[in-house]
Amino acid sequence: MQSGVWYPRWYWPSFTITGIVWLTVLFVLPAYVVLSVAFGAVDFEHFGQPVPYYAPWWWSFSTFNETLTQFYQGSAIYQAPLIRTFVYVSSASVICLVLGYAVAYFTARCTSKNKGLILVLLVAPLWISYLMRIYAWQGLLDAGGPLNVVLDPFGFGDTDFLSGLHITVILGLVYGYIPFMILPLYASLDRIQESLLEAGRDLGANGRQTFWRVTFPLSRPAILTGIVIVTLPMFGDYYTNDLLGSSKTSMFGNLISAQREFTGGSTRMASLVLILSVIVMVPMMYYLRETRRAAERGA
Amino acid sequence: MSVALETRVEATQAEGYFGNPWRRPRILQAITAGYLLWSLLPVVVAVIYSFNAGRSRIVWQGFSLRWWTDDPTDSILHDPAMRSAMTQTYKLAILTVLIAVPIGTLFAIGIDRWHGRPARGANFTMLLSFVVPEIILGVSLYILFTNLISIPLGTPAQLLGLTTFQLSYPVVIVRARLLTIGPEYEEAAMDLGAAPGQAIRRILLPLIAPAVMASVALVFADVVDDFVTVQALQAGASSETLAIKIYSASRASPTPEINAAATVMLVTTLLVVAGGLLIYRRFNRGQTVAGASDFMQI
Amino acid sequence: MRHPKDMNRRQFLTRAGGAALAVPSLGAILAACSKPGETVSGSESPSDIPIATLENPVTLPMNRDPIAADTPPESGPLVLYNWADYIWKKKVNEFAEEWGVDVEITTFNNMEEGIQKVSNGQVEADVFVPTTNYLRRLVKDDLVQPLQKELVPNISSVWPSYSDPGPYYDVGWRYTVPYTIYTWGVAYRRDRVSDDEAASQGWDALWNNENAEAISLYDSYGDTIAVAILRNGSLEVNTGDEALITAAKDAILQTINENKARLTINGVYAKLPAGDFTVAESWSGDIVGAQWYLPKDVEWDVLGYWRPPNGQTMIGNDTLAIPTAAKNPRLAHEFINFFLDEEVGYDNFRYWNGYQPPFSSIDPERLIDDGVVPPNLPMAVVTEDMFKEDLTPYELVPEVDLLWQQAWTEIKAGA
Repeated sequence: MQSGVWYPRWYWPSFTITGIVWLTVLFVLPAYVVLSVAFGAVDFEHFGQPVPYYAPWWWSFSTFNETLTQFYQGSAIYQAPLIRTFVYVSSASVICLVLGYAVAYFTARCTSKNKGLILVLLVAPLWISYLMRIYAWQGLLDAGGPLNVVLDPFGFGDTDFLSGLHITVILGLVYGYIPFMILPLYASLDRIQESLLEAGRDLGANGRQTFWRVTFPLSRPAILTGIVIVTLPMFGDYYTNDLLGSSKTSMFGNLISAQREFTGGSTRMASLVLILSVIVMVPMMYYLRETRRAAERGA
Repeated sequence: MSVALETRVEATQAEGYFGNPWRRPRILQAITAGYLLWSLLPVVVAVIYSFNAGRSRIVWQGFSLRWWTDDPTDSILHDPAMRSAMTQTYKLAILTVLIAVPIGTLFAIGIDRWHGRPARGANFTMLLSFVVPEIILGVSLYILFTNLISIPLGTPAQLLGLTTFQLSYPVVIVRARLLTIGPEYEEAAMDLGAAPGQAIRRILLPLIAPAVMASVALVFADVVDDFVTVQALQAGASSETLAIKIYSASRASPTPEINAAATVMLVTTLLVVAGGLLIYRRFNRGQTVAGASDFMQI
Repeated sequence: MRHPKDMNRRQFLTRAGGAALAVPSLGAILAACSKPGETVSGSESPSDIPIATLENPVTLPMNRDPIAADTPPESGPLVLYNWADYIWKKKVNEFAEEWGVDVEITTFNNMEEGIQKVSNGQVEADVFVPTTNYLRRLVKDDLVQPLQKELVPNISSVWPSYSDPGPYYDVGWRYTVPYTIYTWGVAYRRDRVSDDEAASQGWDALWNNENAEAISLYDSYGDTIAVAILRNGSLEVNTGDEALITAAKDAILQTINENKARLTINGVYAKLPAGDFTVAESWSGDIVGAQWYLPKDVEWDVLGYWRPPNGQTMIGNDTLAIPTAAKNPRLAHEFINFFLDEEVGYDNFRYWNGYQPPFSSIDPERLIDDGVVPPNLPMAVVTEDMFKEDLTPYELVPEVDLLWQQAWTEIKAGA
């Protein structure tokens, strides 16, 4: 920051100190406690309460290993939910991206009269409780309900959509998370100046080429942001399946939440949370690297 | 007409609808209309059925205020469990806003101007708390509070958890705004003799006010909606929120009372957002900078 | 308030850990740093209590003194931690009015969840409704307190065997009074499955492909696995035999995968009357209570319940107990006494619950004649002699419990 004003070195950091302390105690520290519990012992004499080992040299990996091996060894009971979670999340993310891009593009570039209204309608779901929206869907999807009536001519009059169908859960996820995809895309597409597009056309590009060579690349950072905001939280989603699916469509999040009622469950929950964190960390690191590179390029 | 122009006109006419680069994209229009309908219709239906005379939420049995005021045990007016859930929801929402928005705003200002490795580390951690799946946070805090730091579960734990989860929202929103402002205004003020603190209070804060208002509205709405954290850290009926009530009811036997409760949630949140917008408009009459876009920031 | 001496190891470490953050004291830090398992001051190892069975009834040791009979009633609010939809709010309100206090009802969806939340202090209840097979551990962990019998005179309403000598799991009724009794069976819609068909299929109705997409099983591992064991032909409902458990698990998975059976907790009383389910694993009380959930145009005689012959199904009872952490123990005693009152308990059963309380004043033979139990549900009535012949779910030792949990996790993970 080149300026004629001198700030003491501690000036700006001091603004952040409350936030840093807060996050350290309530975000970083719990992560360590989770490690201590996952690598700790279980007190079976007392309803399976976890016994955390705080010092790393006491860490015992037996419970963690037990949980980990459920993913690939023996009956591998955790494998199916894991694969399902990946499939659901990627399908839902792709649908969110394609559908969201279409809607954002239309709103940003093709409307002028009703733009404000459409924008409000697009933003509205963000303010409406996710649970309420899924609850509303649950009602509509109920056996013999409106959806069955509407889809009867197509042969879906008898399908119980809530009986554990993959498509219900995937579309449920899309329904819940797509507003988070649309908004960054809209913001980015809205900012693309008309002059750039006209320049492209003047140089001979037709509509499609203009899109792929001008618009799309300019919206890439927003696509990345949208994907991250949508995909990462989806990995831990469990209530969409609770409300719209069944045990056959259970996701990773359901594995974690199911442990809540078991004796010895806390330790297993901690192990599962650890594994989920690792899974989520990888795309997160990639995203941060990309944004830092983009910032460096932009600056 | 010249040959080239004739050719051009003919080409356009020949291609007809698909040749016009400025046409109204019918397909996209249809998609968007379809999306909006898909997105909002269930909510409209849910609101309408809160006025259902019968117990069903899909079979219309007549109009009635039964679930709102009439029914002596199962209307939201007379059901103490529902009222307690509503109180808890709004209590948590207001308190979380009061804590998270100031801390987050200060953090955003600091992180924007502070450079260096530790700054990047702090920023990374903040961003991480933004995208981490909520169940990880909820379970970690639950484990923390039942093993190391004995904060009682229920409202205190829920408050701490919600604030932690929401902290990153004001940061992201205010930061986005700060990036468009730059340090010139404060520097100008200080060149004119203002102290740094004054410059911040009188120049910077008003400039970021729309972003702060937007984060107030967003955090409020998010806490009202929050389910995972409050469920993980709840301690019994007194700390149940509307979100939990909706969740438990939808897994059991929901009555339109839940629809009514959800409608209340919906209306209050929209009022808060609208209120925030109005307040912002009032205080920023001169500014034409697209502050409204802050409401669109995530 | 718990005396510091009564803290167990874990709580001591928690307090120490929390204190270490506030005011670091060498002692606290040392305590938090010492590996659990080594001697830490303040801990006591509770003496072991044997697992109770019908053949070996157990007198639970007194882990503390009951409250004095003249303790003044507290001002509330009274917290009741109960199954969902398991008590009549009208009666609860009557109690609240009589004593001038508020009553809050917190609910759990299955027993394991309830136990977890009481044991880690997440829910501080005044009255708790545990099943019998958790009582030993609750007492051992000092989570429930002995009753002050002078405050519960209405115990006289209950079958004498419950007070003298007292049930096998709590000889001398030191900690509990019974709340309801019930059996396990299959609930069905008589308009889709005739009584004869139900009787001939028995448990297999839940595996019958003709009922596909309309089968409900309880979302509770103890109950459903035991039912699957019974269906497979064994009577070992408390077994630790891996082969039996695996066979049960496979059977449950089979009906979930092939017949799209659903795991619910309210499937019987909330969804069967509405027609969402045709057959369901059911407790006897659930199907009797289902009559209150029938839609307007559906007659109550569509409800059916099949119970295996004596000796081939399970019987159980729920109890009322007072947690040690109760803030309103005197009120809790009054609450328990209130619901042991013959009229209150009977009304609760008759007009809301569907679950029979074991009262001497209730003649099971007359329940149908009096219209309390619909005539199409004769098998839902519970009689005292059933207790002598039917199977009882006992507490599972940790190693066995782990096997059951493992099987259930696999089922819930949806292979």
